[in-house]
Amino acid sequence: MGTIRRWWTTLPMACATSALLLAGCASEGGSGVQSQKLSMVLGRGKLVCGVDGKLPGFSFVGPDGSYRGLDVDVCRALAAAVLGDAGKIEYRDLNSSERFAALSSGEVDVLSRNTTTTLSRDAPGGNALSFGPTVFYDGQGVMAPVNSGVRSLKDLAGKPICVETGTTTELNLADRMRELNVAYTPLKFQTGDQTYAAYLGGRCVAVTSDRSQLAGKRTNFPDPAAHALLPDVLSKEPLAPATVNADPAWADAVRWVAYALMQAEELGITQANVAAKVTAAKANPNQADLRRFLGVEGEFGKQLGLPADFVVKAVAAVGNYGEIFERNVGSGSPLKLERGLNRQWSQGGLLYSPPFR
Amino acid sequence: MPRLPLTALVPLPTRPLQRLWSRSPAGGQSRRATEPGALLLLPAGHGRGEGSAAGAAAQALPGGRAPLASRPIAPGTGSRTGPCLRYGVLLALALACALLAGCSQEQRQAAASSPTLRRIQASGRLVCGINGQLPGFSSLAPNGRYEGFDVDLCRAVAAALGDRIRLELQPLSLAESFAALSSGQVDLLSRNLSVTLGRDASGGNGLSFAPVMLHDGGGVLVPRASGLRRLSDLAGRTICVISGSTSELVLADRLGERRVPYTPLRFRSADDSFSAYLAGRCIAISSDRSGLAARRSRFRQPRDHQLLPEVLSREPLAPATAQADPAWADQVRWVMHALVEAEERGIRRSTLAAALQRARSEPRRSDLRRFLGVEGDLGASLGLPADFSVRVIRAVGNYGELFRRHLGQASPLDLPRGADALVRDGGLQQAPPFR
Repeated sequence: MGTIRRWWTTLPMACATSALLLAGCASEGGSGVQSQKLSMVLGRGKLVCGVDGKLPGFSFVGPDGSYRGLDVDVCRALAAAVLGDAGKIEYRDLNSSERFAALSSGEVDVLSRNTTTTLSRDAPGGNALSFGPTVFYDGQGVMAPVNSGVRSLKDLAGKPICVETGTTTELNLADRMRELNVAYTPLKFQTGDQTYAAYLGGRCVAVTSDRSQLAGKRTNFPDPAAHALLPDVLSKEPLAPATVNADPAWADAVRWVAYALMQAEELGITQANVAAKVTAAKANPNQADLRRFLGVEGEFGKQLGLPADFVVKAVAAVGNYGEIFERNVGSGSPLKLERGLNRQWSQGGLLYSPPFR
Repeated sequence: MPRLPLTALVPLPTRPLQRLWSRSPAGGQSRRATEPGALLLLPAGHGRGEGSAAGAAAQALPGGRAPLASRPIAPGTGSRTGPCLRYGVLLALALACALLAGCSQEQRQAAASSPTLRRIQASGRLVCGINGQLPGFSSLAPNGRYEGFDVDLCRAVAAALGDRIRLELQPLSLAESFAALSSGQVDLLSRNLSVTLGRDASGGNGLSFAPVMLHDGGGVLVPRASGLRRLSDLAGRTICVISGSTSELVLADRLGERRVPYTPLRFRSADDSFSAYLAGRCIAISSDRSGLAARRSRFRQPRDHQLLPEVLSREPLAPATAQADPAWADQVRWVMHALVEAEERGIRRSTLAAALQRARSEPRRSDLRRFLGVEGDLGASLGLPADFSVRVIRAVGNYGELFRRHLGQASPLDLPRGADALVRDGGLQQAPPFR
């Protein structure tokens, strides 16, 4: 009797124990992080990054033949964090229509391509993406020639408007114009290049896209000052890097590299002083937060499947978020965009990194 | 080793379900019937600090339920229905349920891709892990129900899942929470939990965090009469902390930076920590500021205690699910976004019917129609009913209503909206586009 009771007593315990062990395997096995994508990137020794490639300020090829821009710097930070070298990247130019297929097919490891976070892109029954933190809070706008007399959306009644198809902007424009009861003719194009060429060729009287993109493209126009943004903001467009839903460990790595750039700004760590900060952190055991952030102590890198000093590598390669912004789209760039919503939360913006702990 | 009663193996309920609300299947229901489902109250005392994974041993709690650590834990459905043996039966049941319940094709597909949703649909229950002891967030009201900000998020998720799903609330200590989630004991944590790298990382706790529900921060509460006015005044003093919590680490960091030596007095549970503080065993207590305000509201003399001015940290509090189930995380994420989107659109519980009417009668308002499920298939792409946003708002109201009711002006906590105002009002709350 005693043994039988003993047997009944131990059965659930045994089950619980074995299940716990199994659960432990799933989350802790091997190096502690199991990500197919991360293994692939490490094995290949190169990060494949999907970008727009033709968008000044965000991703474009500079006069020296190298990729530049805010989205490019996100790629570079990631490559530096994962591989220790911001140069180990293969860029793929992707248009709006092909970008998600390129990601889900595995052709690119990460999409860093002025892409708005939306429900259907995030949802498993939609594009099944996993979005990182918003790296640029944008909004849709409309640009028209200054001499066109178009000053607001209502002035576009009966006029053709150039729009890139397959984008959220196409839908937003339709929605807003329907609300305003303004009939217009959408002229749809597959690529940004075609869209802006048509606009400059006079086939439409206005072009719509995210305001940052309009400002970026305008810098390449023959006469930038001849074109103006209408005051209307048609939508909220939080632009974020994306990975596939199916690899949450890889999404974690991308997410925390992006947060690291924001956190570095909050802590006053720059491309120029990061090495000195590391030295200071090593010398001062009381600066626990800083030591953990820079990988002098703690296991953040290991928990993400990244080197201990991934933050140092990323900031040394591209600087903190504020530096990235100013260099590419802010005061140090032809776009001259205001920080606006893209300031730190403590400065009235929306950038908020969760704690590194 | 103490004997584990056989009842621990028996599927819930081990005591009668306390049905607080009932639902009619669909359409035309009474106001009552639109509530998100029945709450199952667990035995009082469950989930207190002593039930942590390490200390629980195999001691059964009243009501025939074993403490967490000794309950059979298996991936998938096992944890709620008995040991591993029942897995096959449950899977069959799940499939049958999915076929019979009349879910849409998309919902069946989502269930197929999400073990958590499969479990929820098979059992008809969403199990939500809450704190249970934190006024404003989740605590027992005089009527015997749990209520609060965190509880309403659970209710919102349950409502979004459809009519069949009942909500079960499970109070958990912080120490119990992570194991309860990864073992499938609970489907969702909604319990004043800070988003941190270590908890999010796959090589850490492997959680998947929903959007931030409250941008909180660490703080220190002291008796007004103590004369303590700032952090540096705490030199050489004893401070009560909750062991294993973020605030314990943050306090150590901030005082370490300032070279302020102190003696931490650690407790497993918030209850124990606050009892010790009120009994004078420590001169200060550290936790999230909102939590301190919540506890203070229940002190006999709330005005005798004050928060030190220093905000020690960023503490973004968010619901969490298991990282291994991204489809389920997506559902929870967009329920939270729906609460905020509703506030951005000015849709309250009381104005929902009018908004729905407007959406139906004005085909031009595409974005409103999509949000409320009048057109498009946003719900289906998440594996939720087309009108999940409507269900969420009907159940709990919008984010602003939630905040006001439980944390803000209409609550004893009287916290300002602060960082959790909408973006247009200078805060951080904004939903990504519902498209």
